[in-house]
Amino acid sequence: MADLADRHEQFIEAGAELITVSTDTQFVHLAWQRDEKLLEKAKFTMAADPTGTVSRLFGVYDESKGLALRGTFVINPEGVLLASEVNFFNIGRNVDELLRKLKANIYAAKHSDEACPARWAEGEKTLKPGAEMVGKVYEALQ
Amino acid sequence: MEGTDCCALQLGQTVPDFTMETFDPGKFGFGTVSLEALKKAGKWTVLFFYPADFTFV
Repeated sequence: MADLADRHEQFIEAGAELITVSTDTQFVHLAWQRDEKLLEKAKFTMAADPTGTVSRLFGVYDESKGLALRGTFVINPEGVLLASEVNFFNIGRNVDELLRKLKANIYAAKHSDEACPARWAEGEKTLKPGAEMVGKVYEALQ
Repeated sequence: MEGTDCCALQLGQTVPDFTMETFDPGKFGFGTVSLEALKKAGKWTVLFFYPADFTFV
């Protein structure tokens, strides 16, 4: 979460709204953000899902614990779910990878005839899938 | 399936509208967030779920 707070500006610049969600209430979110020094710089919206409704919708609600798994989801402005990643309770995420996926999806949305290859990062070469590329991906990437 | 929900969304599906109560540290105030409002604002939405406040993340 501290990692997210440090990189929040990049989400805003990309045109995305970053929302963190747990089954705690908004009042507990306030208390935590105010007291935890690591979250001093946090400016993202902290949403409360005490009933687990939204966590269930995304399949990250653990019914036996009443807690949400570490799920990350990217939704486009039309409301379509385009990326998801779920880690178990004890494994943290990589915000760089989240930003990479977000930017790749935004790029692909603007260039519908292109695809972002493995490890694609902003500014790098994309692929234009078509008959001429079959068996020639190596050449296309040069 | 034990533990998590059986019929979660898949990639490419349209997410049904949802609304949640929020705390906004930037404004130091409470509010609500809805997917419908974010869509109307033309925003991409990134949801970042985690187990609990006051834990190691």
